[in-house]
Amino acid sequence: MRPIFVMLVTLMPLLAIELVAQTGASGPLGLDAPRLTEAPAGTPLTGARLDRRSAEVADRLRCPSCQALSVADSPTDSSQAIRQEIRELLAAGYSEEQVMLYFERSYGEFIRLAPKATGFNLVVWLAPILALLGGLALVIFRLRSARTGSSEKTNEPEADLAPYLERVRRESQQ
Amino acid sequence: MNRTALVLGALLVVPLLLFLAVSLGKDPRAIDSPLVGKEAPTFTLEDLEGRVYQLAASRGRPVVINFWATWCQPCVVEHPVLLSGARRYAGRVDFVGVVYQDEPAAIRQFVATRGAWGPSLIDPGSRVAIAYGVYGAPETFIVNAEGTIVEKVTGLVTPQALERILGELL
Repeated sequence: MRPIFVMLVTLMPLLAIELVAQTGASGPLGLDAPRLTEAPAGTPLTGARLDRRSAEVADRLRCPSCQALSVADSPTDSSQAIRQEIRELLAAGYSEEQVMLYFERSYGEFIRLAPKATGFNLVVWLAPILALLGGLALVIFRLRSARTGSSEKTNEPEADLAPYLERVRRESQQ
Repeated sequence: MNRTALVLGALLVVPLLLFLAVSLGKDPRAIDSPLVGKEAPTFTLEDLEGRVYQLAASRGRPVVINFWATWCQPCVVEHPVLLSGARRYAGRVDFVGVVYQDEPAAIRQFVATRGAWGPSLIDPGSRVAIAYGVYGAPETFIVNAEGTIVEKVTGLVTPQALERILGELL
Protein backbone atom coordinates (compact mmCIF):
# COMPACT_ATOMS: atom_id res chain seq x y z
CA MET A 1 0.00 0.00 0.00
CA ARG A 2 2.74 2.39 1.03
CA PRO A 3 4.99 1.90 -2.10
CA ILE A 4 1.97 2.58 -4.31
CA PHE A 5 1.20 5.74 -2.37
CA VAL A 6 4.85 6.91 -2.64
CA MET A 7 4.84 6.15 -6.37
CA LEU A 8 1.64 8.13 -6.90
CA VAL A 9 2.97 11.11 -4.92
CA THR A 10 6.16 11.02 -6.99
CA LEU A 11 4.40 10.61 -10.32
CA MET A 12 1.61 13.17 -9.85
CA PRO A 13 3.79 16.29 -10.27
CA LEU A 14 5.52 14.66 -13.26
CA LEU A 15 2.14 13.90 -14.83
CA ALA A 16 1.04 17.48 -14.22
CA ILE A 17 4.22 18.86 -15.82
CA GLU A 18 3.71 16.57 -18.82
CA LEU A 19 0.10 17.70 -19.19
CA VAL A 20 1.09 21.38 -19.12
CA ALA A 21 3.91 20.73 -21.60
CA GLN A 22 1.48 19.00 -23.97
CA THR A 23 -1.14 21.71 -23.91
CA GLY A 24 1.27 24.57 -23.41
CA ALA A 25 -1.28 26.09 -21.07
CA SER A 26 0.41 28.10 -18.37
CA GLY A 27 -2.69 29.95 -17.25
CA PRO A 28 -6.21 30.86 -18.31
CA LEU A 29 -6.93 31.58 -21.95
CA GLY A 30 -6.92 35.18 -23.11
CA LEU A 31 -4.38 37.88 -22.42
CA ASP A 32 -1.23 36.80 -20.62
CA ALA A 33 -1.09 39.94 -18.51
CA PRO A 34 -3.68 42.48 -17.43
CA ARG A 35 -3.60 45.58 -19.60
CA LEU A 36 -4.11 47.87 -16.63
CA THR A 37 -1.01 47.64 -14.51
CA GLU A 38 -1.54 50.68 -12.31
CA ALA A 39 -3.35 50.45 -8.98
CA PRO A 40 -7.09 51.15 -8.93
CA ALA A 41 -7.70 54.82 -8.15
CA GLY A 42 -11.32 54.43 -7.08
CA THR A 43 -13.29 52.20 -4.78
CA PRO A 44 -14.69 48.84 -5.82
CA LEU A 45 -18.32 49.19 -6.86
CA THR A 46 -21.16 46.73 -6.40
CA GLY A 47 -24.91 46.49 -6.93
CA ALA A 48 -26.89 49.43 -8.23
CA ARG A 49 -23.90 51.82 -8.12
CA LEU A 50 -21.91 49.43 -10.31
CA ASP A 51 -24.84 49.18 -12.74
CA ARG A 52 -25.22 52.96 -12.91
CA ARG A 53 -21.50 53.75 -13.32
CA SER A 54 -21.05 50.96 -15.89
CA ALA A 55 -23.91 52.43 -17.93
CA GLU A 56 -22.38 55.92 -17.65
CA VAL A 57 -18.97 54.79 -18.91
CA ALA A 58 -20.58 52.72 -21.69
CA ASP A 59 -22.47 55.84 -22.70
CA ARG A 60 -19.18 57.73 -23.18
CA LEU A 61 -17.55 55.07 -25.35
CA ARG A 62 -18.11 54.61 -29.07
CA CYS A 63 -19.27 51.22 -30.31
CA PRO A 64 -16.26 50.07 -32.39
CA SER A 65 -18.29 48.37 -35.09
CA CYS A 66 -21.19 50.84 -35.42
CA GLN A 67 -21.81 54.28 -36.85
CA ALA A 68 -22.03 56.98 -34.16
CA LEU A 69 -23.55 54.74 -31.54
CA SER A 70 -22.41 54.40 -27.95
CA VAL A 71 -21.37 51.10 -26.41
CA ALA A 72 -24.38 51.47 -24.10
CA ASP A 73 -26.83 51.73 -27.01
CA SER A 74 -25.29 49.11 -29.25
CA PRO A 75 -26.45 45.49 -29.31
CA THR A 76 -23.31 44.22 -31.09
CA ASP A 77 -21.06 41.50 -29.67
CA SER A 78 -18.09 43.86 -29.46
CA SER A 79 -20.08 46.38 -27.40
CA GLN A 80 -21.36 43.61 -25.18
CA ALA A 81 -17.76 42.48 -24.59
CA ILE A 82 -16.69 46.04 -23.79
CA ARG A 83 -19.62 46.49 -21.38
CA GLN A 84 -18.50 43.33 -19.58
CA GLU A 85 -14.93 44.64 -19.26
CA ILE A 86 -16.15 48.03 -18.01
CA ARG A 87 -18.13 46.26 -15.31
CA GLU A 88 -15.19 44.12 -14.25
CA LEU A 89 -12.82 47.08 -14.07
CA LEU A 90 -15.23 49.24 -12.05
CA ALA A 91 -15.93 46.31 -9.73
CA ALA A 92 -12.16 46.00 -9.22
CA GLY A 93 -12.00 49.62 -8.06
CA TYR A 94 -10.71 51.38 -11.19
CA SER A 95 -11.96 54.92 -11.64
CA GLU A 96 -14.09 55.96 -14.62
CA GLU A 97 -11.19 57.88 -16.14
CA GLN A 98 -8.86 54.88 -15.72
CA VAL A 99 -11.40 52.74 -17.55
CA MET A 100 -11.70 55.33 -20.33
CA LEU A 101 -7.90 55.45 -20.65
CA TYR A 102 -7.74 51.67 -20.73
CA PHE A 103 -9.89 51.56 -23.86
CA GLU A 104 -8.18 54.60 -25.34
CA ARG A 105 -4.81 52.84 -25.12
CA SER A 106 -6.11 50.09 -27.41
CA TYR A 107 -8.51 51.94 -29.69
CA GLY A 108 -7.13 55.45 -29.68
CA GLU A 109 -9.02 58.60 -28.83
CA PHE A 110 -11.68 57.77 -31.44
CA ILE A 111 -13.23 55.37 -28.93
CA ARG A 112 -14.36 58.38 -26.91
CA LEU A 113 -17.76 59.42 -28.19
CA ALA A 114 -17.03 63.02 -27.18
CA PRO A 115 -13.47 64.06 -28.05
CA LYS A 116 -11.34 65.60 -25.32
CA ALA A 117 -11.43 69.42 -25.35
CA THR A 118 -7.71 69.84 -26.00
CA GLY A 119 -5.52 70.76 -28.99
CA PHE A 120 -7.13 70.50 -32.43
CA ASN A 121 -10.23 68.97 -30.82
CA LEU A 122 -11.05 72.42 -29.48
CA VAL A 123 -12.29 73.26 -32.99
CA VAL A 124 -15.10 70.72 -32.53
CA TRP A 125 -16.10 72.27 -29.22
CA LEU A 126 -15.66 75.91 -30.18
CA ALA A 127 -16.99 75.84 -33.76
CA PRO A 128 -20.70 75.61 -32.76
CA ILE A 129 -20.29 78.47 -30.26
CA LEU A 130 -18.43 80.58 -32.82
CA ALA A 131 -21.03 79.78 -35.47
CA LEU A 132 -23.80 80.78 -33.06
CA LEU A 133 -22.06 84.03 -32.15
CA GLY A 134 -21.37 84.72 -35.83
CA GLY A 135 -25.01 84.10 -36.69
CA LEU A 136 -26.14 86.36 -33.86
CA ALA A 137 -23.77 89.11 -35.01
CA LEU A 138 -25.08 88.77 -38.56
CA VAL A 139 -28.70 89.04 -37.41
CA ILE A 140 -27.91 92.13 -35.29
CA PHE A 141 -25.99 93.69 -38.18
CA ARG A 142 -28.84 93.08 -40.62
CA LEU A 143 -31.47 94.37 -38.22
CA ARG A 144 -29.48 97.53 -37.52
CA SER A 145 -28.85 98.25 -41.19
CA ALA A 146 -32.52 97.59 -41.96
CA ARG A 147 -33.55 100.03 -39.22
CA THR A 148 -31.10 102.68 -40.45
CA GLY A 149 -32.26 102.09 -43.99
CA SER A 150 -35.92 102.44 -43.06
CA SER A 151 -35.28 105.66 -41.10
CA GLU A 152 -33.45 107.07 -44.10
CA LYS A 153 -36.30 106.11 -46.31
CA THR A 154 -39.01 107.72 -44.12
CA ASN A 155 -39.09 110.89 -46.25
CA GLU A 156 -38.73 109.04 -49.53
CA PRO A 157 -42.38 108.06 -49.98
CA GLU A 158 -43.44 111.69 -49.62
CA ALA A 159 -40.80 112.75 -52.14
CA ASP A 160 -41.93 110.07 -54.53
CA LEU A 161 -45.56 110.95 -54.05
CA ALA A 162 -45.01 114.70 -54.41
CA PRO A 163 -46.04 114.90 -58.10
CA TYR A 164 -49.13 112.83 -57.44
CA LEU A 165 -50.09 114.83 -54.37
CA GLU A 166 -49.64 118.00 -56.36
CA ARG A 167 -51.87 116.58 -59.08
CA VAL A 168 -54.54 115.60 -56.56
CA ARG A 169 -54.37 119.06 -55.07
CA ARG A 170 -54.73 120.67 -58.49
CA GLU A 171 -57.60 118.45 -59.52
CA SER A 172 -59.42 119.00 -56.27
CA GLN A 173 -59.09 122.77 -56.76
CA GLN A 174 -60.66 122.50 -60.21
CA MET B 1 -21.37 95.28 -47.77
CA ASN B 2 -20.72 92.92 -50.70
CA ARG B 3 -17.02 93.03 -50.02
CA THR B 4 -17.55 92.24 -46.32
CA ALA B 5 -19.84 89.35 -47.21
CA LEU B 6 -17.26 88.03 -49.65
CA VAL B 7 -14.46 88.16 -47.06
CA LEU B 8 -16.63 86.57 -44.38
CA GLY B 9 -17.77 83.88 -46.80
CA ALA B 10 -14.21 83.16 -47.84
CA LEU B 11 -13.15 82.92 -44.19
CA LEU B 12 -15.80 80.27 -43.63
CA VAL B 13 -15.62 78.38 -46.91
CA VAL B 14 -11.85 78.22 -47.54
CA PRO B 15 -10.94 76.36 -44.30
CA LEU B 16 -13.91 74.04 -44.85
CA LEU B 17 -12.75 73.24 -48.40
CA LEU B 18 -9.19 72.66 -47.20
CA PHE B 19 -10.46 70.37 -44.44
CA LEU B 20 -12.57 68.40 -46.94
CA ALA B 21 -9.71 68.21 -49.45
CA VAL B 22 -7.44 66.67 -46.82
CA SER B 23 -10.07 64.42 -45.23
CA LEU B 24 -11.67 63.05 -48.40
CA GLY B 25 -8.33 61.63 -49.51
CA LYS B 26 -8.21 59.42 -46.43
CA ASP B 27 -9.83 56.06 -45.79
CA PRO B 28 -12.49 56.75 -43.11
CA ARG B 29 -12.10 53.20 -41.79
CA ALA B 30 -8.34 53.50 -41.34
CA ILE B 31 -8.02 54.64 -37.76
CA ASP B 32 -4.46 54.99 -36.55
CA SER B 33 -3.70 52.45 -33.86
CA PRO B 34 -1.99 53.73 -30.73
CA LEU B 35 -0.45 50.27 -30.43
CA VAL B 36 1.86 50.68 -33.43
CA GLY B 37 5.39 50.99 -32.08
CA LYS B 38 4.37 49.42 -28.78
CA GLU B 39 4.78 45.91 -27.44
CA ALA B 40 2.09 43.56 -28.75
CA PRO B 41 -0.25 42.36 -25.98
CA THR B 42 0.68 38.71 -25.53
CA PHE B 43 -2.06 36.11 -25.36
CA THR B 44 -2.71 32.42 -25.00
CA LEU B 45 -5.64 31.06 -26.97
CA GLU B 46 -6.93 27.73 -28.21
CA ASP B 47 -7.69 26.86 -31.78
CA LEU B 48 -10.76 24.94 -32.93
CA GLU B 49 -9.18 21.62 -32.00
CA GLY B 50 -8.20 22.77 -28.52
CA ARG B 51 -4.51 23.23 -29.37
CA VAL B 52 -3.00 26.08 -27.41
CA TYR B 53 -1.14 28.89 -29.13
CA GLN B 54 0.98 31.39 -27.21
CA LEU B 55 2.08 34.58 -28.92
CA ALA B 56 5.10 34.72 -26.61
CA ALA B 57 6.30 31.43 -28.13
CA SER B 58 6.63 33.17 -31.51
CA ARG B 59 9.18 35.64 -30.14
CA GLY B 60 12.19 35.67 -32.46
CA ARG B 61 10.06 35.54 -35.63
CA PRO B 62 7.71 38.15 -37.12
CA VAL B 63 4.02 37.34 -36.61
CA VAL B 64 1.04 38.26 -38.76
CA ILE B 65 -2.04 38.43 -36.51
CA ASN B 66 -5.23 38.58 -38.53
CA PHE B 67 -8.64 39.19 -36.93
CA TRP B 68 -11.21 37.63 -39.20
CA ALA B 69 -14.67 36.08 -39.49
CA THR B 70 -16.56 34.03 -42.04
CA TRP B 71 -19.38 36.61 -42.23
CA CYS B 72 -16.90 39.26 -43.33
CA GLN B 73 -16.68 39.42 -47.13
CA PRO B 74 -13.26 41.16 -47.29
CA CYS B 75 -11.92 38.35 -45.07
CA VAL B 76 -13.07 35.82 -47.68
CA VAL B 77 -11.38 37.87 -50.42
CA GLU B 78 -8.09 38.18 -48.52
CA HIS B 79 -8.02 34.48 -47.55
CA PRO B 80 -6.00 33.41 -50.64
CA VAL B 81 -3.53 36.26 -50.00
CA LEU B 82 -2.86 34.95 -46.50
CA LEU B 83 -2.74 31.37 -47.75
CA SER B 84 -0.02 32.19 -50.27
CA GLY B 85 1.76 34.45 -47.76
CA ALA B 86 1.85 31.70 -45.15
CA ARG B 87 3.24 29.27 -47.74
CA ARG B 88 5.84 31.73 -48.99
CA TYR B 89 7.10 32.76 -45.55
CA ALA B 90 6.72 29.35 -43.89
CA GLY B 91 9.27 28.87 -41.13
CA ARG B 92 10.24 32.54 -41.18
CA VAL B 93 6.97 34.25 -40.27
CA ASP B 94 4.12 32.94 -38.12
CA PHE B 95 0.59 33.52 -39.40
CA VAL B 96 -2.07 33.53 -36.70
CA GLY B 97 -5.81 34.05 -37.10
CA VAL B 98 -7.98 35.29 -34.25
CA VAL B 99 -11.66 34.61 -34.86
CA TYR B 100 -13.63 37.84 -34.49
CA GLN B 101 -17.16 37.23 -33.25
CA ASP B 102 -17.98 34.12 -35.18
CA GLU B 103 -19.20 30.62 -34.53
CA PRO B 104 -16.67 27.76 -34.32
CA ALA B 105 -18.88 25.62 -36.59
CA ALA B 106 -18.80 28.29 -39.32
CA ILE B 107 -15.03 28.66 -38.99
CA ARG B 108 -14.53 24.89 -39.09
CA GLN B 109 -16.57 24.60 -42.29
CA PHE B 110 -14.82 27.56 -43.90
CA VAL B 111 -11.36 26.19 -43.13
CA ALA B 112 -12.34 22.71 -44.29
CA THR B 113 -13.40 24.00 -47.70
CA ARG B 114 -10.89 26.79 -48.29
CA GLY B 115 -7.85 25.67 -46.33
CA ALA B 116 -6.06 27.18 -43.34
CA TRP B 117 -3.12 29.56 -43.40
CA GLY B 118 -2.59 29.33 -39.64
CA PRO B 119 -4.38 28.47 -36.44
CA SER B 120 -7.89 29.90 -36.06
CA LEU B 121 -7.91 30.96 -32.44
CA ILE B 122 -11.08 31.37 -30.42
CA ASP B 123 -11.12 34.60 -28.41
CA PRO B 124 -13.44 34.16 -25.41
CA GLY B 125 -15.21 37.40 -24.52
CA SER B 126 -13.29 39.18 -27.33
CA ARG B 127 -10.59 40.03 -24.73
CA VAL B 128 -7.77 39.90 -27.25
CA ALA B 129 -9.73 41.85 -29.88
CA ILE B 130 -10.39 44.58 -27.29
CA ALA B 131 -6.73 44.63 -26.22
CA TYR B 132 -5.73 45.13 -29.87
CA GLY B 133 -8.42 47.79 -30.36
CA VAL B 134 -10.09 45.95 -33.22
CA TYR B 135 -12.85 48.03 -34.84
CA GLY B 136 -13.95 45.36 -37.29
CA ALA B 137 -12.82 42.49 -39.45
CA PRO B 138 -10.46 42.12 -41.15
CA GLU B 139 -7.70 43.88 -39.27
CA THR B 140 -4.12 42.71 -39.39
CA PHE B 141 -1.31 43.49 -36.98
CA ILE B 142 2.28 42.82 -37.94
CA VAL B 143 4.53 42.08 -34.99
CA ASN B 144 8.30 42.05 -35.42
CA ALA B 145 10.69 39.46 -33.98
CA GLU B 146 11.12 41.57 -30.84
CA GLY B 147 7.38 41.54 -30.15
CA THR B 148 6.64 45.11 -31.22
CA ILE B 149 3.65 45.97 -33.41
CA VAL B 150 5.12 47.60 -36.51
CA GLU B 151 2.01 48.03 -38.61
CA LYS B 152 -1.76 47.73 -38.56
CA VAL B 153 -3.65 47.08 -41.77
CA THR B 154 -7.34 47.95 -41.70
CA GLY B 155 -9.36 46.04 -44.26
CA LEU B 156 -7.95 43.80 -46.96
CA VAL B 157 -4.29 42.86 -46.87
CA THR B 158 -2.90 42.97 -50.38
CA PRO B 159 -0.02 40.74 -51.52
CA GLN B 160 1.99 43.91 -52.19
CA ALA B 161 1.44 45.24 -48.67
CA LEU B 162 2.35 41.88 -47.15
CA GLU B 163 5.49 41.64 -49.25
CA ARG B 164 6.54 45.19 -48.41
CA ILE B 165 5.98 44.89 -44.65
CA LEU B 166 7.47 41.43 -44.24
CA GLY B 167 10.31 42.26 -46.63
CA GLU B 168 11.36 45.05 -44.29
CA LEU B 169 11.29 42.70 -41.30
CA LEU B 170 13.20 39.76 -42.78
